[in-house]
Amino acid sequence: MTAASLKTVAGGACALGVRDLSVNFGGLQAVAGVGFDAAAGRITSVIGPNGAGKSTLFNLISGAIRPTAGRVTLDGADVTGQAPDRLLAAGLARSFQITNLFFELPVLENLRIAAQVLERPWHALRPVGHSRRALAKAEALLDRFGLSAKARELAGNLSHGEQRRLEIAVALAAEPRVLLLDEPTQGMSHGDTADTGALIRSLAGELTVLLIEHDIGLVMSLSDHVVVMAQGRKIAEGAPAAVRADPAVQAAYFGHG
Amino acid sequence: MPEATLRSLSDPGRAGPASRLSRLAPVHWLALAFLAAALGFAAVAWATGNGFYLRLATEALIFAGLAMSVDLLLGYTGLLSLGQALYFGLGAYVSALVLRDVAPSFWLAMAAALLAGGVAGLIGGVIANRVKGVYFALITFGLAQVAAKSVYNTRALGASDGLIGIPQVSIGFGPFSLDTADPLSFFLLVLGLTVAAYAGLAYLMDAPFGRTLAAIRANEKRVPFLGFNAWRYKLAVYVLAACVAALAGALYPMLRGFVSPELMFFETSGNAVITVIVGGVGTLVGPVVGSLLLTALRSVVGSWTEHHLIVVGVIFMLSVIFLRKGLVGALLARLGRRSEQGRATP
Repeated sequence: MTAASLKTVAGGACALGVRDLSVNFGGLQAVAGVGFDAAAGRITSVIGPNGAGKSTLFNLISGAIRPTAGRVTLDGADVTGQAPDRLLAAGLARSFQITNLFFELPVLENLRIAAQVLERPWHALRPVGHSRRALAKAEALLDRFGLSAKARELAGNLSHGEQRRLEIAVALAAEPRVLLLDEPTQGMSHGDTADTGALIRSLAGELTVLLIEHDIGLVMSLSDHVVVMAQGRKIAEGAPAAVRADPAVQAAYFGHG
Repeated sequence: MPEATLRSLSDPGRAGPASRLSRLAPVHWLALAFLAAALGFAAVAWATGNGFYLRLATEALIFAGLAMSVDLLLGYTGLLSLGQALYFGLGAYVSALVLRDVAPSFWLAMAAALLAGGVAGLIGGVIANRVKGVYFALITFGLAQVAAKSVYNTRALGASDGLIGIPQVSIGFGPFSLDTADPLSFFLLVLGLTVAAYAGLAYLMDAPFGRTLAAIRANEKRVPFLGFNAWRYKLAVYVLAACVAALAGALYPMLRGFVSPELMFFETSGNAVITVIVGGVGTLVGPVVGSLLLTALRSVVGSWTEHHLIVVGVIFMLSVIFLRKGLVGALLARLGRRSEQGRATP
């Protein structure tokens, strides 16, 4: 992909708004009144110890679970509780912490399916070669994520690192405006983690990124804004350096390893 | 199925007609070989004046249509229907009633069966697609049982006797016409319809629509996050399968001159599933090959012993254990290996 083809978004405006978002699982308040803004074209990260409710928060935003209270807005429009396919049409895509691909289909086909929403609906009934935009998108993503040599391999036969990259690529295929990445570097080697970090950095400006990440070093170097959660609640937010210095964060997060 | 259908992904639309033929997927070559064999068979049967085997082969092709509809659900979408005979029987009854009571018109009977299959498929699909996995299978089974028992207990539909005295029909194609009473003509017609169904369905399953079904089969949970409404896709393929089964069923009374509630019974649904698994799931050719094989087997073994179901059962178990992808699947795997070796040493 050339720099000229990258869409740039006006940085700063609120692309994804989360307001007082809550969900109960049988009396357990998994996410309690969490709210923040993810600025357009920036990288916002959600961190917190295990069980803080980060993945549940992602499930609420991406339509996998309905919230019991609160609101989610995309560019100001209320999208709370909408089904994932409608959210994708509205411009929000996500990746998964546990690799969630079509393992028995080729790598290129994984991407082509994910890019098919770029086509007009009736292209679903025409030969696949007519879906030129989807195919071009799939090829471009193969290239960008260094998977061109593996295009015909079944996704299930890729290495873990390659599958993690494909997971991000699949989420990008629909050209979303807001991308949720759930621990994209989970289980990656040190080198792969650094490469993936650079890749995520390159996405900012093109689109709005909301990131869950365990690698604190990566979070601090990548993020424009950090939201800290503990026990289902937001305990702090701000610029990486400010969050790191926050005593509440020190106590809840860095304190008790 | 992926290996059968995903070959044409590269160089989309860039190949000329000549190279397109050479790139024809192995599964389509198998279908062509099958067609040639069927025409050869028809020529021999015609030359020897053997109407019995032509009629038997026609029946096998009719049940192949039912098996193809099971394959759409099981092989391409991963949905096990244990009640596909509901739509087959519905098509047969609607066709019989139209031919007997309305007009002896082939086209009218087929159109009525298609409409009935589509409407029933929509209703059944909305009910069955509320649940997944084993529960989907059980609901389809239950729906077919309810329909079969209702027909069995309805005097106006002939109850347990079914409907008899369905007239033979003359089928017009513009200036030409053929008669269902003539075994060769009707065999060739049903063969033509089978080939058309195969071509149309194979096309659809290789188009993005069918590939989304493959994605649902591979990992249904991810599909909504890619912008697809999985429920709508599953409903669409369910209705499509119901229409295919109903059209196949509509041919039955034209061949046999009667319909009976057994056409809707579990034995018919179960046989269709066995046919698909023995022939090869997710290939569409497999159900046709499986149907011909099992029909021939039933006829041959049935002439020696009335316990031919034991033989069918043993074959089913052997094919599940040793040929996981069925006969056609195993054949395609061999062809694939050979063509790979051919590429390695050009």
